[in-house]
Amino acid sequence: MIKPEVIGGLKLKDELLKVGRWAIEQARSQGVEAEAFLLHSEDLTIEVRDGQVDTLKQAEEIGIGVRVFQGNRMGFSFTTALNQPAIREAIERAVAGARYTADDEYNGLPEAVEGYPEMATYDEDMEKTELETKVEMARQVEAEARRYDKRIKVVESSGYEESRYSLAVVNSRGTEAFQRGAYCGLYISLMAEENEQVQTGFAVEARRHIKDLDPARVGTEGAHNAIRLLGAKSAPSRPLPCVLEPYVMTSFLRVLSNSLSADSVQKGKSMFKGKLGQTVASSQVTLVDDGTYERGIASFPFDGEGWPSQRTVLIEQGELKGFLYDSYTARKDRTTSTGNGMRGSFRDLPSVGNTNFYMLPGTVAPERLWDDIERGLYVTEVMGMHTANPISGDFSLGATGIMIEKGKLTYPVRGVTVAGNLFDFLRDIEGIGSNLRFYGATGSPTVRVKSLSIGGE
Amino acid sequence: MLDHRVIAMVLKEALKKGGDFAEIYVEEKNLTGVVCEDDKIEKVNSGRESGAGIRVISNENTAYAYTNDLSEEGLLKTAAIVAHAAAGAARDLSINLKQRHSDLKLPFVILPEAFSFEKKVKVLLDANRAARGVDPAIKQVTVSLADLHKRFQVANSLGHLVEDEIVRTRFVVNAVAAREDIIQTGFEAVGGVLGWELLEEFDVEQLSRQAAKRAVLMLDARPAPAGRMPVVMFSTAGGTMVHEACGHGLEADLVQKGLSVYAGKIGQEVAAPVVSVIDDSSLPQKNGSFRFDDEGTPGRKNVLIDKGVLKGYMYDRLTAQKDGVEPSGNGRRESYQHKPIPRMTNTYIAPGDHDPEDIIKDTPYGLLVKKMGGGQVNTTTGDFVFDVQEGYIIRNGEVQYPVRGATLTGNGPEVLKSIDMVGNDLGFSIGTCGKDGQGVPVSDAQPTMRIKSITVGGTGSGEGPEVRKVFWF
Repeated sequence: MIKPEVIGGLKLKDELLKVGRWAIEQARSQGVEAEAFLLHSEDLTIEVRDGQVDTLKQAEEIGIGVRVFQGNRMGFSFTTALNQPAIREAIERAVAGARYTADDEYNGLPEAVEGYPEMATYDEDMEKTELETKVEMARQVEAEARRYDKRIKVVESSGYEESRYSLAVVNSRGTEAFQRGAYCGLYISLMAEENEQVQTGFAVEARRHIKDLDPARVGTEGAHNAIRLLGAKSAPSRPLPCVLEPYVMTSFLRVLSNSLSADSVQKGKSMFKGKLGQTVASSQVTLVDDGTYERGIASFPFDGEGWPSQRTVLIEQGELKGFLYDSYTARKDRTTSTGNGMRGSFRDLPSVGNTNFYMLPGTVAPERLWDDIERGLYVTEVMGMHTANPISGDFSLGATGIMIEKGKLTYPVRGVTVAGNLFDFLRDIEGIGSNLRFYGATGSPTVRVKSLSIGGE
Repeated sequence: MLDHRVIAMVLKEALKKGGDFAEIYVEEKNLTGVVCEDDKIEKVNSGRESGAGIRVISNENTAYAYTNDLSEEGLLKTAAIVAHAAAGAARDLSINLKQRHSDLKLPFVILPEAFSFEKKVKVLLDANRAARGVDPAIKQVTVSLADLHKRFQVANSLGHLVEDEIVRTRFVVNAVAAREDIIQTGFEAVGGVLGWELLEEFDVEQLSRQAAKRAVLMLDARPAPAGRMPVVMFSTAGGTMVHEACGHGLEADLVQKGLSVYAGKIGQEVAAPVVSVIDDSSLPQKNGSFRFDDEGTPGRKNVLIDKGVLKGYMYDRLTAQKDGVEPSGNGRRESYQHKPIPRMTNTYIAPGDHDPEDIIKDTPYGLLVKKMGGGQVNTTTGDFVFDVQEGYIIRNGEVQYPVRGATLTGNGPEVLKSIDMVGNDLGFSIGTCGKDGQGVPVSDAQPTMRIKSITVGGTGSGEGPEVRKVFWF
């Protein structure tokens, strides 16, 4: 149904919606309610090494996921072939699957909505910019990093990435949503060496607009991150006050967003269950999820169920205010979706997930956060965050950082662990920087916490 | 699957503007998944996906493009994109495709198509019931099944052609136990390159009970101590440690970029003499098994470290060419959307000759690891971290009490050198290994073994052999 020459052209919107409508009609003729989610994307990756293009990758992907409801039973199937027999077969498989899922009164399509927030999510300039210009940006990242310090011995990879995509959601209750989106980014990962010790560093930056990318900034930051750790040694085991860089904090926030999903709460997998209205964090902490945040790369007018995006305050000045909902979990809690029915691709069912999830900045300049720390750790990197337990909140991570002594950053530290419990951690936050830095869709200021358990020698 | 004539045409088109090597990888796959959570079948998912990835290598640089459009027209358009990116002298060569063979047998008995949704649902409901029956403290159980049936073709401008199919099945259980403010989880997963005979190899109800019991056990566990101490890794812990601490550093791409601590150390002693490390894709039914890798190289057994001495690295085609060796059959990719890179398959430390129980008896004080969680490694420095799902304190050669929240942090080469006892058993675990944004299924294994000293991170107070707080227990 979709001809190659149409893809990427202006007719894409019409074509995707047409295919979606056709799929819904087919499903209705089989006596089920249905939703079609269609994605077309074009990705570009340029990886540079030693000034040469090591890998150039260009990709085009298309697919449809069909969710059906037979009464209160739900089925799902997807296909990458957008022709009538393949879509018909996908619907049949979804209907067959629905026979075996639970009869759940909360299952169902979201109601049709009146409209969506006006948002600019596409960058025409990105599409128009020549490939050679993008290659040059990737080269510049590498060159800047090498120029920063001659102890930068190996640049593992540096590059440019972009994704341009079109999403359509059509359902049998009358929802019809379409939008194009795009984002691009630069990254570098490298190695510094001195006195036979090696340290790694990286930097990454993702933006909605190609004009906002700054290769020099990315290259310099990557190099700086490795150089500052040269000469690192272990530290004694003891509890210490810690200051966490935004990058480190965003790893923590990702675990936290999981516990703030209504799905985790309803299934008893969150420590926040039953704590609405209670104080769960230091009064300095405000956490929001904002699908309409203009500069966020996860901003989009609607979610994977075609529900409008919004700004949701989850924790306000330490008090637990709410959770993230898709339409299923919202129905269960007798509330409305917060526009967090996220989908990784057309291959997945929607499930609760975050959009632009971030901690609001405070008022203290980040570099003033450790002025009065007698002895502490400035944490620059943690490893193994995926092992943190999002349910109990227990974590124990490998860490690198810089020792704080008498209010000054002194020597670099590696090979230690930092351990604690995420919920104690939230209550123990005693300082929040005035900065805000996003890594992907998660953002944080620099944060100071009263004490974490350091494991070393 | 594609007609050989079309394949040859696409390869020719890809090299039209130059380049040393062209390859096409085509796959068609059917996937299904069923999830039971909250005491009910929550999701069933099925899908069909097909696509092709085409690459051209010129002067060791790669141009890669993929598409879902497998029509002749769509493939030629994709080939033209990579051709455009390739540099060099134009070539016009004739390609004679010859099918490659492997003697390796990977039998699939019960194919995914033959195992209905109905049967899957029953397996999950039974497993769910088994886990929930363990203890009233079990508050949530998630059990899931997934299978994949994939047909693929790989062909290249050298004339190699491989056409094969692979079947994967997997069962996963995750149990959550809660008491007052403490929540703990237990996890088990089994799977591999085999059909649903997986359920004959493993008793999944028993596994579900095991996961639930671990979650309950950890409710009463004390916080793990922090500090350096001996660690006995039981074979049931699985091979996360060998995978993270050593395996990644032996992948040739990292070695060649100067990003591995093992670079330039072939023939040198890099581990204790009791340690041999092997990667073997030819093991039957394991999670990282295959007849051919994703570049069409036959799978085989590779001895990486022999009695402490570094013997070789894991290669894909491109890195093998750079080192002037044969590809070792480690060129893998997540799907047609990714270029192949050197990856592990089934990686293990070979069994030694100690009785596992004797290793515990011989340990005056330390941490016993019965079950591992996930891990991560910085291959450049060799620093790694992984978490302990089920751990116990050993004192005077006896297992004392469970501890929770422990992680092991160390340096790969240092740890390999400080292994001083290796058991005569071998325990496997399965996982999906992530690297460069690609996830591939692997299995890892190790015998019971003792690491003389490693940093344990925990929230408990550091307690060494001189136990001062003994009265508080």
